[in-house]
Amino acid sequence: MLPRRPVNRTLPLPHKRLQLMITCLCDAFYADVAQASVEILEHLGCEIEFPEAQTCCGQPAFNSGDWEAARRVIRHTETVFGGNLPIVVPSGSCSAMLQHGNALCFERQPDLPQIVDLGRRAWEIVDYIVNGLGVRCWPGRLAARAAFHASCHSRGSRTTEAASRLLSTISGLELLHPNEPEQCCGFGGSFAVTFPHISTSMGNLKIENLLALEPDFVVSADMSCLMHQQGLAQKQGRPLTVRHFVQVLRDALRNGGFLGPA
Amino acid sequence: MTGDHRERILQSVRDALRPLREHGHPAPYPEYDVASTVASRRLTGGPSWESFRSNLESVHGVFLDSPAALVSYLHSRDAQRGYCDPALASSVRRLLGPDFTLDTVFDRDQIDLYAFGITKAAAAIAETGTVILHDTRTSSRLGALAPWIHVAWLTRDSLLTSLGQAVSSLGDDPNIVFVTGPSKTADVESVIVEGVHGPGEQVVYLSD
Amino acid sequence: MNPQPLDRFAERLRPEVRQSVHLGCAGATQARLTALTRDFEDPEPLRRLAAEIRQHTLDHLDTYLEAAESSMRRRGIEVHFAEDGETARKLILSLLRDHGAQRICKSKSMASEEIELNGFLTRAGIAVVETDLGEFIIQLDEDHPSHVVRPIAHRNRGDVASTFQKHGLGDWDDRPEIITRRARAYMRNQYLSSHAALTGGNFISAESGRLVLVTNEGNARFSLAASRLHIALVGIEKIVPRDRDLSVLLGLLARSATGQHLSVYTEFIAGPKAPGQPDGPEAMHVILFDNHRSTVLASSCREILRCIRCGACMNVCPVYRQASGHAYRHVYPGPLGAVLGPLLRDPAEFPEMADLPKASSLCGACQEVCPVDIPIPDLLLRLRDRTHREKIPSSGSSLPLREWSLLASHPLAWRAALFAGSAVNLLPPALLPSAALRTWSQHRTLPKWRGGAFRAWFRLRRRPGGPEAEALALEAEELLPGTPV
Repeated sequence: MLPRRPVNRTLPLPHKRLQLMITCLCDAFYADVAQASVEILEHLGCEIEFPEAQTCCGQPAFNSGDWEAARRVIRHTETVFGGNLPIVVPSGSCSAMLQHGNALCFERQPDLPQIVDLGRRAWEIVDYIVNGLGVRCWPGRLAARAAFHASCHSRGSRTTEAASRLLSTISGLELLHPNEPEQCCGFGGSFAVTFPHISTSMGNLKIENLLALEPDFVVSADMSCLMHQQGLAQKQGRPLTVRHFVQVLRDALRNGGFLGPA
Repeated sequence: MTGDHRERILQSVRDALRPLREHGHPAPYPEYDVASTVASRRLTGGPSWESFRSNLESVHGVFLDSPAALVSYLHSRDAQRGYCDPALASSVRRLLGPDFTLDTVFDRDQIDLYAFGITKAAAAIAETGTVILHDTRTSSRLGALAPWIHVAWLTRDSLLTSLGQAVSSLGDDPNIVFVTGPSKTADVESVIVEGVHGPGEQVVYLSD
Repeated sequence: MNPQPLDRFAERLRPEVRQSVHLGCAGATQARLTALTRDFEDPEPLRRLAAEIRQHTLDHLDTYLEAAESSMRRRGIEVHFAEDGETARKLILSLLRDHGAQRICKSKSMASEEIELNGFLTRAGIAVVETDLGEFIIQLDEDHPSHVVRPIAHRNRGDVASTFQKHGLGDWDDRPEIITRRARAYMRNQYLSSHAALTGGNFISAESGRLVLVTNEGNARFSLAASRLHIALVGIEKIVPRDRDLSVLLGLLARSATGQHLSVYTEFIAGPKAPGQPDGPEAMHVILFDNHRSTVLASSCREILRCIRCGACMNVCPVYRQASGHAYRHVYPGPLGAVLGPLLRDPAEFPEMADLPKASSLCGACQEVCPVDIPIPDLLLRLRDRTHREKIPSSGSSLPLREWSLLASHPLAWRAALFAGSAVNLLPPALLPSAALRTWSQHRTLPKWRGGAFRAWFRLRRRPGGPEAEALALEAEELLPGTPV
């Protein structure tokens, strides 16, 4: 049987040195999420390495069934992220890929052990902050109503619980939980374009549940979900603001004067 | 014909498992304590008739523990004619009095005339509110099933704690049925309706 | 891009069907959750235990099959083996003829749906009645079940009322209670005049040879009280090692399927009726049925055979809720069917079922609710890999993944592409350079391309005191309430 995702772990050392994987989505579209990741990690005293040669976790090909193409990308990632530092990722989906999907993709490959090691070092960023560094309370303030979207690829990890606990310590932030929280928003990578009717119908149910909360924004671990939800809402002319966890954490710091303004 | 199939199926299963045996790790049998499977929150009253009663009532079963309660229950349902296990008939007649008609042979042609059926149950499960019927101790399967009201006749010494305990000691009876509340369905729009093919009212009568 | 067959089916689904499916699924999903959290401090260890028991059984299925067979024979059960549907059908017919059985009552059996038994027996002159209420309605409608637990999940009460009226079961009345009473009255005569009961089986204990049958309506119990012959068609994977294992599986099955802590009737059958018992079968036959299960066991998806048919995966599945069961074109719908459907068909038919493993956003809700913890998303992925390796053409494979993977393994090219990609900001959706982007843009906007922006910011801010850093500070995407500007 495949290894489950690591859930009960602590950092082996007082590790504040880390490697940051920003994900292809942030590399191409959501630069501010990557920037916020750097800002909050540095605020916590972390020393960040950013391997310039990084590209993508390999998920698009893996999920579409082209495992050979996926392995090419994963091997590249394994080379780029050498060493033994924790690898921190602002995405539940990409960290799930590193921790679990990679092992599946390499099941009968000779370099499976290296790939499994890579996964052991991977942390979703809020999991890293809360369960790795032990941060239990977030300074600053943010007066807003935030609808919490538990992203599907955070299932079976500690991200959702960690994020929900940490965000609820932010002064002024009201965390709202939608109906049917376990229902997927329908993104699913290539699924969104190969099953467009089902994907958009799922997305519409999700944004109804989120908008019903009348939030100032939707907050989540994954920009992929948020891209889908916002894209749908915008196309229908309905405003839906989306924020990644790290943007909310960063904005709270700014408002509290812990960081300089943007 | 079926002999060839037996060999071929077993052979394909063995072939299917060979790589796992040779290169993999067949999953071991998980040793576990049956007590660890108990839904502890259903036994807050301990392994008692009180727990049994509350679990039976949670599935709309009816718990009666006095002759007067049984008589008044059947009266309230206007249930005057029923089937009764012949071994219980004389005590039931004494208990119910002359207003009731009891048949001790289940007549299939009269199936619609039986408002109730009274049969012995072998045991009960506190954790689940279940009554256990054994083929060797149930005088008629139909008598315990076809009438609208089934009265399962239980004695106080027959309480088992848990489902795990019950399935671990099934014994030799060729047909055992665990009955947990009245027959029901939710096939039409998930609306629960009781009394589909079996009893609409499942009564447990605890005799002294 | 052409949408996959399952997507087209979902698009054409009548809104009232989708509504029925959604309501039923959402209710069952909630009922499951309530039941598990109400009864257990932590249901997770139980789910893991159930998974281990089932996986252990599968990994030693040859041993347990022989053990189950000999335990059943010891109890006076006749045991048969059927490799495929054709054999099973003929075997059942010959058993019925041997016993002079012309009328049979059937209780819900998905295995019998696999081999389209009803049609076969009817053509052979046997009168077959489905006794489960939902299956009875399916039979009247000449329809197929769309869910493993709630066969008429796709029908509403009005549909059922019309069916009953059409078949002379009373004037149009859509109250579920009236419908149920009419079925009760009708079915009693069927039971009493039937010569044989045909059932499936939820489990067989290898230890005791007991066949376990679970129902809520009491239909299987009634069939087995009224007729003289019992034939059970049971998949070879339904074995459990020991009786005690049933405590784990029965409790999880009921809670996962309907939110009950135990189904109403759980029958443990070890042979013909007891001597002295006036009602019940004098002969019992169990047919152990392969029908491609051993092929599944040999595949990389053998974990799917752990399944105990609770239906929780389809209840929670957002794709099933949109598409309903018939979209899966097989007996087993939903996430279960997306794995099992293609595998239970003849290998030659795999290509035409290859859209099913793709019909998932891989959200993982199915594994989360599965009482035997089947890693369904992993299995869907393995089937997608197989589809790709076997070069099965499909309308969904037009993403340029090979080109993408070359880009993503060459960092210089990757950075060049990040820079060049900003061209998409200028294009109207219809002129986007890939079919995938055009399909995306039909229903959603694309976010603004900011390729490489983070990299530039990160490099420049590293220079101590560099003024460029501030100049390059990224524009805030949306202004938040309370954010100082």
